[in-house]
Amino acid sequence: MTTKFDLNDDSLVVIIGSGAGGGTLANELAQKGIRSVVLEAGKRFTLADIENDEWRMFDKISWLDKRIVDGPSRLASDFPNLPAWIVKGVGGATMHWAGVAMRFQEHEFKMKSTLGTVSGANVLDWPISLKEMAPYYEKAEKKMGVCGTEATGMPFHGESNHYKVVAAGAKKIGAHCEQATLAINTEARDGRPSCQVNGFCMQGCKIGAKWSTMYTEIPRAEATGNMELRPNSMVLKIEHDKNGKITGVLYADEKGAQHFQKARLVAVAGNSIESPRMLLNSASNLFPDGLANSSGQVGQNYMTHVTGGVYAEFEKPVHMYKSTVVPGIVKEWQDHDASRGHLAGYELEILHLGLPFMSAFLNPGKSGWGREVSSSLANYDNMAGFWICGEDMAVESNNITLHPTEKDQYGLPVPVVYKTDHINDTRMRNHAYARSKELFESIGALKVNNLPPYPASHNMGTNRMSEKARDGVVNRWGQSHDIKNLFVSDGSQFTSAGTENPTLTIVALAIRQAEYIAKQMAQKEL
Amino acid sequence: MNNNNNVKSSDPNATSNNTASNNPTSLSRRQFLNKAGITTVGIGLASSGLFSANTWAAKAVGKKASATLHRMARDIYPHDELDDKYYSQVMLPLADKADNDPQLKEKLLEGVNTLDQLSQKYFGKDFVDIKSEADRVKVLRAIENSGFFQTIKGNLMMGIYNNPELWQHFGYGGSAWEQGGYIRRGYNDIDWL
Repeated sequence: MTTKFDLNDDSLVVIIGSGAGGGTLANELAQKGIRSVVLEAGKRFTLADIENDEWRMFDKISWLDKRIVDGPSRLASDFPNLPAWIVKGVGGATMHWAGVAMRFQEHEFKMKSTLGTVSGANVLDWPISLKEMAPYYEKAEKKMGVCGTEATGMPFHGESNHYKVVAAGAKKIGAHCEQATLAINTEARDGRPSCQVNGFCMQGCKIGAKWSTMYTEIPRAEATGNMELRPNSMVLKIEHDKNGKITGVLYADEKGAQHFQKARLVAVAGNSIESPRMLLNSASNLFPDGLANSSGQVGQNYMTHVTGGVYAEFEKPVHMYKSTVVPGIVKEWQDHDASRGHLAGYELEILHLGLPFMSAFLNPGKSGWGREVSSSLANYDNMAGFWICGEDMAVESNNITLHPTEKDQYGLPVPVVYKTDHINDTRMRNHAYARSKELFESIGALKVNNLPPYPASHNMGTNRMSEKARDGVVNRWGQSHDIKNLFVSDGSQFTSAGTENPTLTIVALAIRQAEYIAKQMAQKEL
Repeated sequence: MNNNNNVKSSDPNATSNNTASNNPTSLSRRQFLNKAGITTVGIGLASSGLFSANTWAAKAVGKKASATLHRMARDIYPHDELDDKYYSQVMLPLADKADNDPQLKEKLLEGVNTLDQLSQKYFGKDFVDIKSEADRVKVLRAIENSGFFQTIKGNLMMGIYNNPELWQHFGYGGSAWEQGGYIRRGYNDIDWL
């Protein structure tokens, strides 16, 4: 589409980021006749750019701008400059995801009420409930085409070899396992084909069977004539007037030329490292600690889920790669039950890696070599395994800050990402490792490998939602407590992480936020 | 557990396309590897063909050093059933590069030198002359944090496990979309559960 909006048009919504949050918000607004400019730091890809090749796609789409990992964790030594595994490109992290689309559980919106005060953590209730979110979850499931749900009526994928192995183990130990609800078509639907199981969901779906804003929300928004996408546009600063009202966004284009786009309101959706970084980088005389930061919570409470991997080796072939990346989920320990020795829950997501990534993540870091590693890799075709995904505690000192001296290619301070386990995270991970081993050994695993956490694709919490302005950054609509025409539209608004993959909740929140913005605009409140 | 023992290339002129040096994205791949604490130097395979430990690196670093590097490569990711060429074709571009890169050449030669010194200290002989793998590994563990070791390791990881020539051997399918994926190709044919 050729819609072009004027830099001086101050009636526009400016959305920063085109992933699950930004892309969805843009389309929802566009369908309601609200005009927006979407500034996306990365380039625009097409399906022709997508390959079934792990490293090539990593090279092509990952966000590789310099970041520093800090904290006493193995991640910091194994991956000193790669805290997060997310995308720089139109569609954002909806390119690099397995399609797992699950609703939060009721208690996960109420962690403070459920757990009480947790020593060493900064746990808080969301200002919204599952009941309030339910209709938006349903809309999100319809929009994204989530199989195995009532919202779409699409069937599950059916049991792959990888699923069957895990399900057999789960049955042996009495653990509940079911196929995953995935935002991947199992029937031709909504102009996109049915899944043919290439096994490379995380590298971008070559045929577009998996939902991504890259080829759904973005082009649909453009087709209305109400949205202009500007790729290769890196936001430098969000600016405001003397009353603290946002006036627009300064950004650099592909060639480094700077432009100032005026705005009626700005929605930040750059993922949980870039979003707080933008607010911090926009500090001014009026807001010396950064925008929307009167609580001091911008950048704090960074959450990634309690993760880790478990890969078992069997005597006979599994061929786990001949499957959707996440064919199923062991949900036995997803609820909160303090008698397990840890708070909150986790899921064991059946997940395959290709051989190239398995060699990098089986035992990452400097010591990951030698016969033990190579013998396991020689057994690649006989492997089955999990990615652990559990609720990590909000901890204030897990945060995103700006490096005092080091700058990136745009001249912006490099983000420093501090993340370490809360003791509950460690206990939960150990519980998950132990249960996984039990599950796999019950069906004859010869060896069970525990993989440490690798760079996080689930990044949450750094601009969190709160009832009271002093506890967080945004209100129940994702609107800044401090600045009326500044919104946060991505996973950084999460108050707690839940055990579920974040995308469905991000999309549901964006649909809900678009309704609010439209109403507020109609009432001249915005 | 693999059936294809002693994999040999059927076509000695086959070009391995895993990390062609003209690949415009190789810079960012190196970026990742660096970020991930994995050091590499110009991961790239010129053309493959059959190499032996004696032919590949002698030019740049000398026959002795090249034999040491080769032994080291086979100890880092040991797969006894794999032909030497799969290791050599990872080391070749390194040696080629060392030819025109005095710093790299020094890094390799110094690394080999340190390895031999430690081998002499621990076992009274040069690294290549140590018969026991466990003993060689002991020496290698002592230098595993060095840039030299991590350079070799990073190149090998990509050269062995990201080498499409070897995927079938390891039981990995590689790109699937052109073949219609797996929905009708072994999706749920498991028979031993």
